[in-house]
Amino acid sequence: MAHDYKAVQWTPFKTRFDLWMLGGITLYLVVFVAISAVAQPAGEAFAPVQILIRALGTLAFLLLTFILCIGPLARLTDRFKPFLYNRRHLGVTTFLIALLHAALVTLWYHGFSETNPFVSLLISNPRYDSISGFPFESLGLIALIILFLMAATSHDFWNANLGPGLWKALHMGVYVAYALLIAHIALGAIQFERHPLYVTLLCAGSVTVIGLHLFTGLASLRPAHRTEHEGWLKVADLTDMQDGRAKIVRPKYGEAIAIFRDGNTISAVSNVCRHQGGPLGEGKIVDGCITCPWHGFQYRMEDGQSPPPFTEKIATYATRIIDATVYVNPEPNAPGTPQPPSLIVDPA
Amino acid sequence: MKRAHRKTHLVMWLVLGPVMIATLLIAVMYRPAEPVNDELPTVLLEEAR
Repeated sequence: MAHDYKAVQWTPFKTRFDLWMLGGITLYLVVFVAISAVAQPAGEAFAPVQILIRALGTLAFLLLTFILCIGPLARLTDRFKPFLYNRRHLGVTTFLIALLHAALVTLWYHGFSETNPFVSLLISNPRYDSISGFPFESLGLIALIILFLMAATSHDFWNANLGPGLWKALHMGVYVAYALLIAHIALGAIQFERHPLYVTLLCAGSVTVIGLHLFTGLASLRPAHRTEHEGWLKVADLTDMQDGRAKIVRPKYGEAIAIFRDGNTISAVSNVCRHQGGPLGEGKIVDGCITCPWHGFQYRMEDGQSPPPFTEKIATYATRIIDATVYVNPEPNAPGTPQPPSLIVDPA
Repeated sequence: MKRAHRKTHLVMWLVLGPVMIATLLIAVMYRPAEPVNDELPTVLLEEAR
């Protein structure tokens, strides 16, 4: 947590995940290059480096598309939550692949003239008023710079020193980078690539990302209609409260509330993690503490405080159980305020 | 995420989503039937054909 910084916080799961990721990337590149080399249209002969440029470019697009789908998919199904823990590694890897793609493009297409390759990349095509001839490289370059800034500041050191608000705003730049990437491909490869696979991939990927973000974004802002009991909001029946997990309630005003069941007790805290605003209600109870699904920050259920030596605090809420139904008071206590849990007399 | 972050997030997608779709549609609608480089002299293009 925020107590100190470690270069990389490896866990056996992260190591396995990274090995699977590297294996998948290698397999994709090998298969793409092999199929492209074998299935070249008659009359066209691409150099191996050109095929590699395409393989790296398509891989970077697919990875970024997948990364942007992880957040909304994890809201819709628990199966994608493990990917949340490793989104950072995927993001940095995507930047490195995009960088390799850009380096090969610069060297291959601009490295053989007397002009500096970087200057050549930026000035060789000034047709900004054209669609099919648009200098799409500049769009990819801006996207790459954004990805670089994000990869360079991905460590918790930067989150702690920039502050969660600024850090989050900076990392929301990934959406702009994705829009630039879509334009880079649409005005670039799509203009001269005849195979329908490229258009299909681009359209399917971008529509999926846009659709998922709009759907979950609209759903998360809409306060669910909740039965009230003297101003208290109904959470769920006890039988629907899974042990070690939470239900999330979104009151009309204020932040969402995460209501956890731990054995025969019910407690409620703010749904917003102090670290990067992660959704605590999508996490679970580990070692008696509420654990954020994003980066593992922990809070005690009884008072919303991180266990020593950590100092983070979140708001707590009063809960009560009436006729085997859980209710929560939408008025928050000050962060770190002890709040006795509701006891389940006859555990369901 | 905080409510304010969620709102910013949604507003970004409400703006970027249509921009991305419009870019895609324009790029696909206006792409040439055959890949061409109109900077090449006509003689070279004829020769290539």
